[in-house]
Amino acid sequence: MDLIDNILKGERAAIAKAITLVESSKESDQQVSRQMISELIKKPGKSIRVGFSGPPGVGKSTFIESFGSYLVSQNYKLGILAIDPSSQITGGSILGDKTRMVEISKNPNTFIRSTPSRGSLGGISMGTREASIILDAAGYDFIFIETVGVGQSEIVASNLVDIFTLIVGPGSGDELQGIKKGITEYADIFIVNKNDGELKIEASKTAADYKSALSYYKKLDELEKQVLLVSAIEQTGMEDVIKTINQIIDQNKLKGIFEERRANQLEYWIEEEVKNIITSDITKRLSSKGNISKYSEKVMKNEMSMFEAVETITKDTLK
Amino acid sequence: MTNKSNNGFNTWQKSFEKETKKNFNDAKSETDEGIDIKPVYTKDDIENFSFVENNSLPGQWPYTRGPKASMYTNRPWTIRQYAGFSTAEESNEFYKKNLESGQKGLSVAFDLPTHRGYDSDDDLVMGDVGKAGVAIDTVEDMKILFNNIPLDQMSVSMTMNGAVLPVLASFIVAGEEQGVDRSLLSGTIQNDILKEFMVRNTYIYPPEPSMKIVADIIEFTSKEMPKFNSISISGYHMQEAGADNVLELAYTLADGMEYVRAAMSKGLDVDDFAPRLSFFFAIGTDFFMEIAKLRAARTLWAKIMKDFGAKNERSLILRTHCQTSGVSLTEKDPYNNIIRTSYEALSAILGGTQSLHTNSYDEAIALPTDESARIARNTQLILQNETGVTKTVDPLAGSYFVENLTEELSKKAWDIITEIEELGGMTKAVKAGIPKLKIEESATKKQAKVDSGSRVVVGVNKYKNPKEPSVDVRVIDNNRVRDDQIKKIQAIKESRDTTAVEKALANLTNAAKDETNLLAPCIEAIKLRATVGEVSKALEQVYGRHFAKSLSVSGVYGKHFEGDQEFMKVENKIKEFENLNGRRPRVLVVKMGQDGHDRGAKIVATSFADMGFDVDMGPLFQSPKDVAKDAIENDVHAIGVSTLAAGHKTLVPELMKGLKEIDPKSKIIVFVGGIIPEQDYEFLYENNVSAIFGPGSNIIESAEKVIDLISDNLSKV
Repeated sequence: MDLIDNILKGERAAIAKAITLVESSKESDQQVSRQMISELIKKPGKSIRVGFSGPPGVGKSTFIESFGSYLVSQNYKLGILAIDPSSQITGGSILGDKTRMVEISKNPNTFIRSTPSRGSLGGISMGTREASIILDAAGYDFIFIETVGVGQSEIVASNLVDIFTLIVGPGSGDELQGIKKGITEYADIFIVNKNDGELKIEASKTAADYKSALSYYKKLDELEKQVLLVSAIEQTGMEDVIKTINQIIDQNKLKGIFEERRANQLEYWIEEEVKNIITSDITKRLSSKGNISKYSEKVMKNEMSMFEAVETITKDTLK
Repeated sequence: MTNKSNNGFNTWQKSFEKETKKNFNDAKSETDEGIDIKPVYTKDDIENFSFVENNSLPGQWPYTRGPKASMYTNRPWTIRQYAGFSTAEESNEFYKKNLESGQKGLSVAFDLPTHRGYDSDDDLVMGDVGKAGVAIDTVEDMKILFNNIPLDQMSVSMTMNGAVLPVLASFIVAGEEQGVDRSLLSGTIQNDILKEFMVRNTYIYPPEPSMKIVADIIEFTSKEMPKFNSISISGYHMQEAGADNVLELAYTLADGMEYVRAAMSKGLDVDDFAPRLSFFFAIGTDFFMEIAKLRAARTLWAKIMKDFGAKNERSLILRTHCQTSGVSLTEKDPYNNIIRTSYEALSAILGGTQSLHTNSYDEAIALPTDESARIARNTQLILQNETGVTKTVDPLAGSYFVENLTEELSKKAWDIITEIEELGGMTKAVKAGIPKLKIEESATKKQAKVDSGSRVVVGVNKYKNPKEPSVDVRVIDNNRVRDDQIKKIQAIKESRDTTAVEKALANLTNAAKDETNLLAPCIEAIKLRATVGEVSKALEQVYGRHFAKSLSVSGVYGKHFEGDQEFMKVENKIKEFENLNGRRPRVLVVKMGQDGHDRGAKIVATSFADMGFDVDMGPLFQSPKDVAKDAIENDVHAIGVSTLAAGHKTLVPELMKGLKEIDPKSKIIVFVGGIIPEQDYEFLYENNVSAIFGPGSNIIESAEKVIDLISDNLSKV
């Protein structure tokens, strides 16, 4: 495929079109996409994939603008996959992330793609993993995956990246008690943003709160979770972030955690794909038989119990 | 209420219900502001007021009836037409002609690069030089602008907010080099930065240092320029951006309060500067509402200033300039605009404005020609000389309806002002983006009313003209203007004392660090021929440049169209498209160059998304090259370019070039919306623009055209 050659050459338009393919819900696109990904996966680059998540309003995009600018100034090539949460129940969505990434979006060494989350689980869109494979093959040094932090998203997102970062704002320390154990397991770095102006004291306090709370969760064989203070608007603390990322990656590689994670993620991916295929197959069968409404009527009329109906439909569908 | 009048009213109500076959209580109509207008008002409706005082007189507390006792009976309002374009030379010629024809005051429009603190030779401003105003790079340009216009006699209003320091400094130096002491200069500088963050977007620095600059100017002028208005607190651009009258009124006054606090924080006594605060409101087509707004504004401001402890009566009085609404003008059937502007002007007069700009009928398309500017000016001359409106002060006082409306508006505005105060004032509210979102919501509602036909706009969604007249427009050759300006800058840079300039600029940077008043070191730098851009950069070193976060409303537009056939038709087309192509149609909506008027872009984005498009919003002030990169990386089907400042002839071809440079086979289509003279249509089509949507375009129809164009384009191999 021409497309593959052009991706490997790093051509912007080819990368963009390939991402469209992996995101497409059209069956024929999906076929092409699977072929393409199978090829690209044989030609892995050297990308480090970093996940950024956090509640709305903590300045994720502004942080990425700031941190990204720093990386680009150090001659790294940076790909950003931003999952835009602003999708609606009806209609389309407004993708406004790039209005907060003014400087890096201009830089020739960046590639920034926004994707509407379409309400999919965890804010991760269909195709995000494949998109990161494309950017990896195209030669990007870092791939950022930005998601909005709601509920399950961290877990899904952390399955796509080598290092996972949670961005929080000053004052969020109080919510720590409410933070589920899950997040602390999945996140490698905690970044307290808005360490500037009037919020400086509050930010330091929050960082301290995080540090003490996280020490309870530390596992024996793991690196200590890192808590960093930054100001996206004043562009301070960026060196610490990259230093910490590199440190964790090096350590993990040394200990084999890096490879182990990627292997686990592959396992997870396979499982997900299998589940997806089964689910969509069953959904098709269910709707083609169309007997749910038939049985629900029976249940309504008290001709059979709800559970009998479920059992009958299940047996019938799996036949 | 006496029994007698009650009986009379009951009889009236019965007759009304018989004539209209409607229950009286259902016969109200709701305004944009959420005020129920009744079909009749009586004496009962002017009782129990909390703001308006029934027996007040003009020039007396609470000044509802006007700032002066005699008002127009002594001296009519000032006819002050806002103008400026191209080079200082051409604007100067235009001003002199206008003054000869009966205009009394000047009002200068600057081009976008000047507003944003860029010199004309800056690469970032390629398409914008001299376009929507005059280009000022150095004091030499300012001197040319006022050549043979004696600044000790002419009051000059300057619409400048971003680069307010170098521009005011240039004005002062130009005056001095004309032999006029700064204490004799009269006029107004807009200097209203808060509304820039809300709607107009011609800011340079972040909110806090910007507020400091505002306060510096108030301080300096209160000490050294007693005849000069240090600020014009403007609601105009809020209404232009879609705010209803309550929002315009409330946010403007809340801005005013913030400026008063900023000035007082410099240690000034409120009476030292308050008499030199002035206001600026928009006058739209809602005739009585606009009259009531001006009356309410004066009433509320008097109360606000009293609360600030003002003792001087002049501190309590709100004086205002008004301009007829630009956004009410239509590109379709443009001569209707003369009529709209006339009624709006009458509203402003009946509301008691101190000065007025009437728009030219062609301003929905381009900058006014000499001819259209003459008609606009004559609108006011006819009102002053032929209609008799100047013979009685506040003629609508005592009108049950107008008095009631004044009270209602005051109440509603006061509620919002109280809310803002509870948030900690306007700077904080603006930083949180609240007023901007509220205004966008209001704008989207208004647009939906027009598109759905529930609001009639003559010649646009009803009574359309089968034979659209063709109108001559003023054409600016911005490349020529830019070349001229660059030559002038070069000549000045060669002849000035560079070491002295550098030293002056370093002094300015230090002053910014020391937080001392910036105007004096600015005047020094300008005197030595530092450019507007150099001065702005000297401050940028300390303050940085501000980039706005962009928040968007959603669902507001679509809500007006539940069950609407046309809307559903587009929705269905989009669903079909998605089924066929595996994704929704994706459109990038952008503004390019220094044009920050983003109401149109925002409305298009939110309404297109409501219909089912995926819409990418680009940041403000993008270059065509940036837009091309953004579009290609996100693999959009189309780019919608919103243009209101006439930069499209330069910027659109650059965008096309940019797309082809990244992807020679790019199939992204480009459509353009905004203020585009018909004469430019052919040029744009020749440059492969797929569709053009002028002001007053129906958004649903436009969306349908875009989805059709995208589908056609994809089916081509």
